[in-house]
Amino acid sequence: MMDAFMDKLLAAAKAAGIDTAEVFYEENESFRASAMDGEINQYQVSSSAGLDLRGTVNGRMGYASTQAFDDDAVIQLIEGVKDSAALTETDEQDEIFAGEESYPVLPEIESDLADVRAEDKLAVCLNMEKAAKAVDERVTRVQGSRMVTASGMIRLKNSFGLDLTSRDSLGYAVLSAVAKDGDDTATGAQIAVARNFSEIDPEKVGREGAEDALSQLNASPVPSGSYRVIIRYDAMSDLLRTFCGMFSAEAAQKKLSLLAGREGTKIASDKVTIMDDPLLPGGFASCAFDGEGSACFTKAVVDAGVLTTLLHSRKTAKKQGVATTGNASRGYSSPVHVAPTNLFIRPGEKTLDQLMEDVGNGLLITEVSGLHAGANPASGDFSLLSKGFVIENGKKGRPVKQITVAGNFYKLLENVREVACDLKFEGSSIASPSLDAGEMAISGK
Amino acid sequence: MLDPNIAREVLACAVRTGGDFAEIFMEDRVNHNLRLNTGKIETVNSGRLHGAGVRVFSGLNAVYVHTNDTSREGLLDAAAKAAAAVRGGSGCVIAPFITVHAERPEEIRLLPTEVKTALKADKLRAADSAARAVSSEIVQVDAYYMDSVQDVLICNTEGVFTTDRRVWTRVGITAIAGNGTENQTGFSGPGAHMGFEAYDGVIDPEQAARTAAEGAVTMLHAPVCPGGTMPVVIDNGFGGVIFHEACGHSLEATSVAYGLSEFCGKLGQQVANPRVTAIDDGTIPGNWGSLHVDDEGTPTRKTVLIKDGILTNYMIDKLGGRRMNMPVTGSGRRQSYAFAPTSRMRNTYIAAGNDDNDEIIATMGDGLYAKRMGGGSVNPATGEFNFAVNEGYWVKDGKIVHPVRGASLIGRGSQILTRIDRVGRDMRMDQGMCGSVSGSIPTNVGQPMIRVTEITVGGKG
Repeated sequence: MMDAFMDKLLAAAKAAGIDTAEVFYEENESFRASAMDGEINQYQVSSSAGLDLRGTVNGRMGYASTQAFDDDAVIQLIEGVKDSAALTETDEQDEIFAGEESYPVLPEIESDLADVRAEDKLAVCLNMEKAAKAVDERVTRVQGSRMVTASGMIRLKNSFGLDLTSRDSLGYAVLSAVAKDGDDTATGAQIAVARNFSEIDPEKVGREGAEDALSQLNASPVPSGSYRVIIRYDAMSDLLRTFCGMFSAEAAQKKLSLLAGREGTKIASDKVTIMDDPLLPGGFASCAFDGEGSACFTKAVVDAGVLTTLLHSRKTAKKQGVATTGNASRGYSSPVHVAPTNLFIRPGEKTLDQLMEDVGNGLLITEVSGLHAGANPASGDFSLLSKGFVIENGKKGRPVKQITVAGNFYKLLENVREVACDLKFEGSSIASPSLDAGEMAISGK
Repeated sequence: MLDPNIAREVLACAVRTGGDFAEIFMEDRVNHNLRLNTGKIETVNSGRLHGAGVRVFSGLNAVYVHTNDTSREGLLDAAAKAAAAVRGGSGCVIAPFITVHAERPEEIRLLPTEVKTALKADKLRAADSAARAVSSEIVQVDAYYMDSVQDVLICNTEGVFTTDRRVWTRVGITAIAGNGTENQTGFSGPGAHMGFEAYDGVIDPEQAARTAAEGAVTMLHAPVCPGGTMPVVIDNGFGGVIFHEACGHSLEATSVAYGLSEFCGKLGQQVANPRVTAIDDGTIPGNWGSLHVDDEGTPTRKTVLIKDGILTNYMIDKLGGRRMNMPVTGSGRRQSYAFAPTSRMRNTYIAAGNDDNDEIIATMGDGLYAKRMGGGSVNPATGEFNFAVNEGYWVKDGKIVHPVRGASLIGRGSQILTRIDRVGRDMRMDQGMCGSVSGSIPTNVGQPMIRVTEITVGGKG
């Protein structure tokens, strides 16, 4: 049915004077449930689908999207594209791509999530909560004991005859625990992400979520000052996710990244190599083609501190006279833009414990909050509410909260002294191992 | 939008396994987005959202199923899926529908879907010119225009059968000041629950652009803010984000009903300095966070949360109300049919007090004057919040001495409320998008100038 609608739309676009056209279709099914006090208190099933039409009129690209697939929608999309193209006025002529000779072949992803019974998923929620509360009587409540499974497919079809499809499915279980000791309250969480149901261990997730909350009980600030800081893999992944827009050529061309024109120069410590790998087996953003239909490939963005390339779409590459890096990203309701695929800092040899031993005295930062407000991707500046632990004599010491870590992400990359071996993708395609970030400014008591 | 007979059939299907309440939320929405960058209109995108969600309660638990297929068969299928997930219950009788048309077409003079796109683009071009005219140090202006016309139908087993039309428009201008080696940004984003007529007197894109540009240039020349604990004065308008983050989220049934808020069980108690009265009002005509009815079909109202420092009410949706055994406050909101509703803020502000702005700063000693705030977030379970200061000034001995950059404020909501020792007279609200479990929704934040005796300022100095 959708195939017929897409063809009808492309034919109607041609008849309406849209020179070249492309349809991007996306559909998703998801299941989510959560438990509280031994009952399933939230249960949600969703199915959604949407598509966009983009097309060129006199060399200008127009966009329109819909979640309704009737004859009215055809008219709305075509009028929308023409109206959009008539007003769009960027210099470079945006084009629809006819397609590659061949695309990389990704290993087939095996997933049994679609066959798992709802009852079994509900049991995960109930068992995680039970496991969390069994750890310690100070774990008084859970904020959420949630199981989610989702599957989706995308399809790209255009007037040159290109027709590409990609599918994926994923499940995750999250436990957020609340621990109370007297007047003090602390929260903590653990997540497990999997493509096969048997890989999710509810007892383990529940226990570790509870332990995370307990470890933060009776935390207090440290005095303000400059501290040697290790940023743990989870907090560092959040920071990298917030600032990775700096590697986008689109951001650079718009002067929203300070890396414009820095290709080939040293922008980070020798210890830092950053990969963008769309072919990573099992990666959350793995795909053979990007949002413009270009073939995806693996590349180092930063190689031993040197910026080797920015990330490009066909549009940004054309403007700069280079080849695309296959980083055009697209959702049916958002126009093509540049985004990383599986982007990560390449892990080193040492463990987090060894990093702490090397540092001797300082702070281990395990969580940063308020990234949408306290971090400025255009300047690289951040000042973030943080949690963590004191590092004393090379070991993890007492818990710390109500402090801020302030710095600049560009400078942080330059200051990295060591990269640990603990790279983990926890439900995101952007990740980092723990880093010894050198000296940073801490505000506390 | 939906035949009442089909609606009854769908609701009956939803409660057939013992559900004691069922609801259908159907939506058809047209969004229009324009973006300008480097002085040019970069993208123009129109989109139509269409779908429905069926929600069933059984006691204190809820099931939600949503779909794009709003045909009779599609809705029945969604209702059947929801019913299948309900594990017994008392069941319910479907009350006769009482039809309500909550839309107020007389309030919308220029429906955005009937305005030429070129006129919308002109607003962005005017903003771009105004921002660049502020200083040659403005290296980039990134601006968006949005409008949205949302038609909804909400019906439930209690006899609600309500239609509404919500119309919003907003511009957002980010100005970037740079000197080649560093960038500083300024933002301003005025919006209204109005049609395109808002650009005739309510929303001024050029003024917003100047504000954004001036902030960016000021910050480019500002030294970094010293860190530590100190008195902080927070100005009106978006400064109200402090109440929104530090207390507002913790007063939503979303956290209170589950025992996850530091304000649980504190009704009638002194939770703030007696100078503080805080209100969440969904009824102010044309305001960004206003609604005629909430997303559960309940007419919105003005809810006094804190009166002279005493906690008087929470913001309560239907499911939260069941758990708390309290009446709803017209606060059930959701981003779209793809989200089950929950209790959310609307236009939330600290009411005007009696203190004089000059005196507030003159008697603060050394500290931070936060003129323009950025966004923030909170963990309601612990009350720990954080937010960014977009434009700050260092105060020495009660005098503003120079701008400072890069500050953030952190603390615990309940502590901040008791430490507010001054509340000014000039209350103003600004617009924001608030993100929570039921998605991203328009809300107003506001306050007059306030002073907090001690707060932790994150900075590098």
